[in-house]
Order: sequence, then structure tokens, then C-alpha cells
Amino acid sequence: MSSPLTLAPATGGQRPRRLLVVLGGALIVATYLFLVTVQPAEIAGGMGSVASLVTLFGFLGGGALLVAGILPMLSTSSLVVMPLGIALNIAIGQIAGSLGMQIYLDAIGTVLVAVLAGPAAGAATGALSNAIWGLFNPFALPFAAGAALIGLLAGLAARYGAFRRVYLAPVAGLVVGAIGGLVAAPVAVFMFGAAGTFGTNAIIAVFRSMGDKLLVAATKQGLLSDSLDKIVVFVVVALIVYALPPRAVRQFPFARTHRVLGGRTGALPAPSPVKAAHGGGSGVA
Amino acid sequence: MITLESASFAYDDGTTLLTDVALAVGPGEYVIVAGASGSGKTTLARLLAGQTGGDAGSSFRGTITLDGETVRFDGVPTDPRIDASVWSAKVAYVAQGAWGQLSMMSATVGEEIAFGPANHGVPADELRRLVGDVAAALGLGDLLHRDPRRLSGGQLQRTVIAAAVVQRPRVLVLDEPFQGLDEHAAQDVATALEDLRRDGTGIVVCGPLMPRTAPQGARVLALAEGRRVFDGPLAEAHRAGLRRYGIGIAGDPPRTAPPAPVDPTAPVLVTMEGVGFRHAPDSAGGRRTSDGASARKVRIGVGPGVRRTRDGGGSRRPPDGATAGSGLTGVDLSVRAGEIVAVRGPNGSGKSTLLQHLNGLYRADTGQVTVGGVPILRQPTGTLATTTGYLFQDTDQQLFERTVLREVAYGPRAAGVGKDEALRLAAEVLDRLGLGASKASHPYELGFVQRRLVAVACLVATGSRVWALDEPTAGLDEPTRALLAGLLARHAGEGGAVVLATHDAAFADAVAHRTVRLDAGRIRAGDADLPRSGSSP
Amino acid sequence: MPRRRIYDPLTELLAAVLLVVLVLVVDRWQFSLAVLVLVVVPAVLLSGRARQIGLAITLVAGPLLISSLLLHGLFYPEGRTVLADLGVARVTAEGLTFAVRMGLRMAVFTGVLLTAAMTLDLPDLLASMTHRGWNRKLVFIVGSAVGLIPHVALRGHRITRAQQARGLVVGRSPLSRIRALLTVMTPLVIGLLVDASERNRMLEARGFSSSVARTSYLPDTDSHRQRLARRGMVVAVAVFSAAWLVVAP
Repeated sequence: MSSPLTLAPATGGQRPRRLLVVLGGALIVATYLFLVTVQPAEIAGGMGSVASLVTLFGFLGGGALLVAGILPMLSTSSLVVMPLGIALNIAIGQIAGSLGMQIYLDAIGTVLVAVLAGPAAGAATGALSNAIWGLFNPFALPFAAGAALIGLLAGLAARYGAFRRVYLAPVAGLVVGAIGGLVAAPVAVFMFGAAGTFGTNAIIAVFRSMGDKLLVAATKQGLLSDSLDKIVVFVVVALIVYALPPRAVRQFPFARTHRVLGGRTGALPAPSPVKAAHGGGSGVA
Repeated sequence: MITLESASFAYDDGTTLLTDVALAVGPGEYVIVAGASGSGKTTLARLLAGQTGGDAGSSFRGTITLDGETVRFDGVPTDPRIDASVWSAKVAYVAQGAWGQLSMMSATVGEEIAFGPANHGVPADELRRLVGDVAAALGLGDLLHRDPRRLSGGQLQRTVIAAAVVQRPRVLVLDEPFQGLDEHAAQDVATALEDLRRDGTGIVVCGPLMPRTAPQGARVLALAEGRRVFDGPLAEAHRAGLRRYGIGIAGDPPRTAPPAPVDPTAPVLVTMEGVGFRHAPDSAGGRRTSDGASARKVRIGVGPGVRRTRDGGGSRRPPDGATAGSGLTGVDLSVRAGEIVAVRGPNGSGKSTLLQHLNGLYRADTGQVTVGGVPILRQPTGTLATTTGYLFQDTDQQLFERTVLREVAYGPRAAGVGKDEALRLAAEVLDRLGLGASKASHPYELGFVQRRLVAVACLVATGSRVWALDEPTAGLDEPTRALLAGLLARHAGEGGAVVLATHDAAFADAVAHRTVRLDAGRIRAGDADLPRSGSSP
Repeated sequence: MPRRRIYDPLTELLAAVLLVVLVLVVDRWQFSLAVLVLVVVPAVLLSGRARQIGLAITLVAGPLLISSLLLHGLFYPEGRTVLADLGVARVTAEGLTFAVRMGLRMAVFTGVLLTAAMTLDLPDLLASMTHRGWNRKLVFIVGSAVGLIPHVALRGHRITRAQQARGLVVGRSPLSRIRALLTVMTPLVIGLLVDASERNRMLEARGFSSSVARTSYLPDTDSHRQRLARRGMVVAVAVFSAAWLVVAP
């Protein structure tokens, strides 16, 4: 029955442009490998035009290719949460500030989108988030590829069950944060000579005073601070998604099909024994 | 033109609604779908809009016929899926709550209205003509260059309607389009709808109450617990005794006993003496307007770049005229234990500002505020929560727990009550308010009215002596209005005091001992202690 | 008085990005300084909002410059010319030079991009992207995210007030702060998701999934000449960069 009022039987969304995604990923990996293994000769301390150009074009171009490859496959339901994630990333700094928090927590939106809508949406949210942030703070711009990686990894972690138990979330956060820190370090070094906040620079100074090269010192610092930040972010996101109404979670095909939250919510509506065992936790019958 | 025949609609949690309900809407017709909370109004509106819910785990059995073409649903996964874009060109839908219906990417009302046709690739000249026509029809001509995110409630609602009808649909379905609007804004929206109807658009308006007046020939479809209980002209509906189904008439007083007289020797619980207050000129929340309906008028300021990107560069967008609510000037008020005081006044007159002085959210610049014997000075706002219970106009800002029971137990817990005792207290209050069955539900999975009741339950359970309620009756159905009136009377009877800000004259007259009128931040001279109308002292 | 818009936002953004690329390619402090003094400063002064842009540049770049100076000025193990030995830290000429050159680069980077971004009219940029036929999903995400930021901040602020009214008191311990963050974040995220699911339906109803080219209500500020100019600029910078990197010492 082909009525003009109805849609043809589900054909699914558009296929991702795999070539673009692969190219983008490859460019980011190649850039990273180039920067850490070849370590352009002139950068005893981190200055140099080749290194910074490669950083800028490799990571930004890679991020752009990823986004271009991912966007066509996103459903409208993923699409509408991405601006929300981006706005949360940028605005939470302020709320955190007004509550007197000491950490940045600038990836809560990215991780939230990744958990609900999957790794692809998470990666695009991360990349675009930093690109938009660049309009108010240009220093965020070159870190777009790193942010995309955080979103991608958070989505993969969610897919394989890292958000089914509260105690798994910080473990995933630690791992993702460490990887994120590794990737962010060369950007900071080659673009800005590892300039950061006073806090992060103090840590770098400690390693430098022990004789480490700038890239090594920045990498160690990245491993430390990013892991801590992501542990907190992952736990906060886990607690938020556990508190969401089940119906809100269920509207996301990714969260539903991969049972991202385990038995808590997002399970199919039938009163399954799993849901009864773990649901709510209030103990009220 | 559109005919809905519903055999049943089952939600994923097992609730079944709209059993054997049929509705046909023709050109130029005006249909009011009225029913208490949970009666299936929104479900019906969504079905008309072609949202049959197959993707949300619910199942619909029945048929919808649009322009002679019938689509049949059997509640199975192989049911046809409606092409929302084609459907909406014929049947436009305006859901509850305008924010979700803004694209958020338009910097002007004009762009927002043009969003739909632009998606279909309508050329620029044609776009401008379409937008101009619709704007003229809905009285938005002067607002085309304004930022839709900074409009007042009534303007925003008309913008959303304009964006829905720009493709000239044959039928327009609206779910509670008047909720949260003051009289003036509601009148603007009603006029706009009437103009559309005269041009031949069929209009369906869903709401908890029947309106007192409606366009000539308006029909009422009354629903109760998912079934049809009445179908006929409005005048007949008024006389059909629909109150037994929880369907009241807008502007009717709630059914409640007149308030018990106040003991003139009772202790004074609230004193405001010469309170003056000015909103900070540029803080994000400091310029919160005083009335929720227009709370969106707040001028928004976030980090240095954001505003700039919007109004930088062009003179195309004049600064918007949205004004913050006035502060307060020389406000004196005293409320005794056992007394209920209503605060009334137009939008922006400072009602919410006054209320928020009672729980320390705002601190008086001059003068003094004392609540429950405690002068409000510099103590953290959170520590005053046990003294003053505050009901916000937008309930959804208050709730955050995973279950209704934990939500209601939060107040007593914060006040230092032990966990088990708090849960017991919460359960008791919920039973009293008829929410016993929802204890384990997530607050946000309840309907609007129940969510509102949960927020009220939080106040009751916390046991604060002073209640400050901001527009407590907005969007409520008849039974809940009466329940709320009873709760207020009981609280007063137990020695509490209530101050409520409201547009709802009938409710204020029925429950309050006296009404205070605010105008531009001042208590209007002459009737500061106006006895409630229609009752002898 | 705001500056009158002459060029399409895409042209302006591209010019800014190419200027940054040039600074990186040339990598001479004289050139960086020249760009800063001859391009950024006049652009800021002529923007019509010199004060705000100047303030923003200072706020964004200032702390970075200072902490960079401290880091490299005091800790630069590669440095040989020691100017002052402070025990743990050593002030070296190489470190100071490095800090100054990096600082200059960062100042140009911030100055150029922030000036371009802050004089940008975002609706015009979105319209221009639409007219150029960019992916409508991208245009939606960018426009909607920027539109949501103030809304999210405001809503967060209101929720904080509402929670204070219910008894939220933020303590000093990190745990108490995380709890406070959660009591604010949870209703915030729920509210935004509820809006988003309604917006999802709205987008479907308004034909957002349509595959025809999207049009824009705002006029196109682009022209054939500017398109040519953009291509020209890209080619010129690419050729120059290649030549410079090969020929330059």
C-alpha cells in the first residue's frame, strides 16, 4: 500500500561515507605518529613551523573529514541532542563556576551524547563542540580531533557496557582520559608551547625541572589531569543517565539496542525480571 | 476533512486510552477537546498530527482518514509509518510547551517561520511572501526581526503557531495553547486562531478546562479516562454536568468551603517592612521577570562571545524591547498564621519578585523581611527551605530524584529528618494527595498535573509553615484545583500562612482571605487590605 | 557604531585562517609582530567594538601568556645561557626567547581569530552556508548549539535557584560540590531532552529530512567575485607556503 501519506517500509538512514571516516581517522593517526615518532628536528623545545602546520592541518582536517563522513548517517533523533551536548559542554563551565567547582568538566555534553546516541554522534559532537568553542576561545580549536576521540571512545565504552554499572564508569573514564591526554599533548606543545592554565603548567614545570623534554613533560601532565577530569565526567554522566526517565532513554535507538544502561532503564518495556532486579533501586514495590 | 476513529491506544506501560473514540474535523470548524489529566487529550492531539507512536513502543488500533485517504493501524510493527512532512502540510500540530518547537537556530521570528518551507527548498522571494502573509494574519508583523528566544509567552506561542501554519494546513491542532499565558496574551492567541478559522482552517484545541466563551459553532469533545463522555455544542456542554468527570469551566471558582476566619491574635508569620528591591542590571538570572508567563523575556548574557555573535555587525536587528520585571518599592505586607493572601497584578508587576523575598532567593535592598520570626539577612537560601516552602511556576526546575517517593522525601531529609521517617512521611503525604499509586514512578513520566502535585507534596512533606506559591493553578484540571484549594485551607487551619501569586481571580477569590494588588512593584494604594470579594468578614 | 559589513562571513573567516597559516609558515618574530601591529590592532580599532574585543583577547590570551612566560622562563632544561640560578629553577636566555616567540605566535593566533569571530554575524554565516549548499545538518547543529548556550546557562541558573529554595546548600568539600552539580544537571538534562524529543518531531514535521537543497530566508551576501577571491587567496597562500618552506633557511 503506497499512500502518499505514509513512508516506504524502513530503509534506514543514509549510509555513512566510510571513505571520509577512514580518511579522517587515518589522517589523525598519521599526524599523531608523525609528531611523536619523527619529532621534527628543529623542535628541541617545541617551536617550529612544520610541526605546528602539520598539527593544525592534520588534526583539524582529520576532524573535519570525520564530521563530514558521520553527519549523513545521523538520524534526526541523534541530531537534535548534539546541539544540546555542545551547549552543555560550553555552558557547564559556567554553572560549575557558579557552584565553585575546580575542574573544567568540558566534556560532559560530549560523553552524554555518546552514551545516548552512540560513538559516531559522540565523535561529531566532540569535534563540532571545539570548533564552535573556537568562536569564543580560539585555543579550543586545534583540540577538536582530541575531543572527537573522547566522544568516539565514550560511545564505544557505552556500547560494550561501561555504563551498565556505576563502578565501571570511572574505569572507562580513566582509560579514555589517558588516551585523550596522550593525543592532546602534542597539540598543546606544537601549537602553543604547552601553554595552559597555571595549574597544568605547574605540573609541566615539575617534569621540566627533572630534565624532561617539553613534549614528554606535557604528555605526562596530560595523562595526569585528563584522566582525573574524565573520571569525574564519566561518573557524573553515569549518575545523570541513571536518573533520566526510562522513556527519555528509550527514544534513542543506540541506547535501546545495546542496552547501554543495562537493566536500569532503556530495556524494552516488557516487565523483564532484569528490570525488577536493578530498576530504580528505591526498594518500593 | 480529517476523521479519526480510534479503537484503542495502548502505552508501553499498559495504560489504554481512547477506546472507541471518533472525531471528525471539517473546514472552519472549532473543536474543543476537554478532559482532566490522564483523559487522553494529548494522545488524541498527537494521533490527529499523525504521531501514532509506533516508534515509542505504544500501539494504536484504528484508522485516520485525511482528505479521503484512509490509513489503517492494527497495533503491529508492520503498521504504516506516516510521512510527517507530508502530513504536517495538511494537519499542523502545536505541542505543549513552546521551547521544544523552536528550531533554536533562527535569530529572528521571520527565519523561524520560514524554517519549514526553507527545508522544502522554497525560493527566497516566495519565502518572504509566505512569511509576510502569515505574520500579518497572526499579528506578528512588527516582531519579524525579533529574536524568537526572547519573546514573551503570548508572542512566542503565536510565533510557534505561525511556523506551524505557514504551509497553510487545512487543520490546526493545538495542545494546551493557553497554558501559562495571562489574560491579555491568551486573548491575542485566541484572536489569531479565530482569524485562521475564518479563513477556513479547522481548529482543534485541547485543554483541561472548557472555555467560558468560544467562536460561534464551537463543539466540545469531552474525554474522561480515555473515553468519550460528551460530544456536542459548547453551550450544551456547559449544562451537561461534566464536573462529575472532572471537567470544569475556565473562570469558575474551585469547589471549596469559604476560608475560616483568621484569629486576630494569631502570631504574624510574614512581615515585609518598606521593602525596596532593584534587579541587578546584567546578571543572567537577576533580571528574571516577575511572572513566569513572561519569564522568557529575560535578557540573556553568557560568556563574552555569545551575545556578540548575535548582534554584532548588523543594524538589521534592533535591540529587543523585552523588559525585565520591575523591582519592588516600599512594600509592606504582614500575614498572620492561618491567613491566605493572594497577590495579583499584571505581568511584570513584581509578584514573583515579592514571593522570592520570602525564601531568600532575593534579598531586599532596603527594608526588612521576617519569616516565621527569622529575619532574612545573609544566611544561605538553602537554610530557609524549612521555614518557607516555595512552589515555582515551572515545576520542572524543581524535581530531580529518580522516583516520586524519593523526591517528596528529599525535603524532610534536607530538614534533618531520618531516612526511614522521611520516606514514611513522604508516602503518607502522597497517599493523601492521591498519588499513592505513583510512588515508584519517575516524576518526569507523570503528566503535567501530577508533576505539579508532586511539587506540592514536597512542600507538604517538608512541613514549612509559610508557603509561597507562584501561579499554583496554571494548567491544572478541575479536580486538582479543588484539591489544591482544600490543601491551602488545611494548611492555614493548622496554623500555617500562604502567600500566592496568581492570575486566577476565581481561585484567589475563593480561597484567599484578602488580595493584594501589585502594580509596577508597588502595592496599589487603597486596596492593600482589600477583603476578599463576595464574602462577609 | 558597528562596522558595516562588506564581505561575506565565509570570506572573512577564510582570510583570518589563511593569515594564521601564513604566520605559522613564515615563523619569524618580525612577521608575527608586523601582523599583530599592522593588521590585528587596526582591525580591532576599526571594528566599532574595540573595547569588548580588546577585553576578550586579553582575557583569553593573557593568562596563557603569563603562565607560558613563567614555565619557559624558569624551567628550560635545554637552555645554556643561564641568566639567574634560583636553585630548582634557572632563568635562561633560550627559555625567555622561546617564551616570547611562542607568546607572540599565540597573541597573533588569538587576535586574528577572535577579531574575525567577534565581528561575525552568525545568522549571516548560517545563511551563507545554506546558500553555498553546505550540509543542512551541519548548519542546524552549529546554529542550534550557539542558540542553546545562553538558554542552557539561564536554565541552569534558574534550576540552581529552585534547588536552593528546596534546601540545597553547597558545601566546601568536593563531594558536596559534585552532589550540587548533579542536583542541577539532572533536571537541566531532562528538560533539554524533553525539548529535544519534541524538536525531533517538529523537525520531521517541518520537512527537515527532505533531500532538496535548502533555501534561506536571509539574502545571500556572497558574490561571484568573492568566490573567485577566496579561491585566489587559497591558491596564493598555498603556493607561497610551499615556496617558502622549500627555499627558506
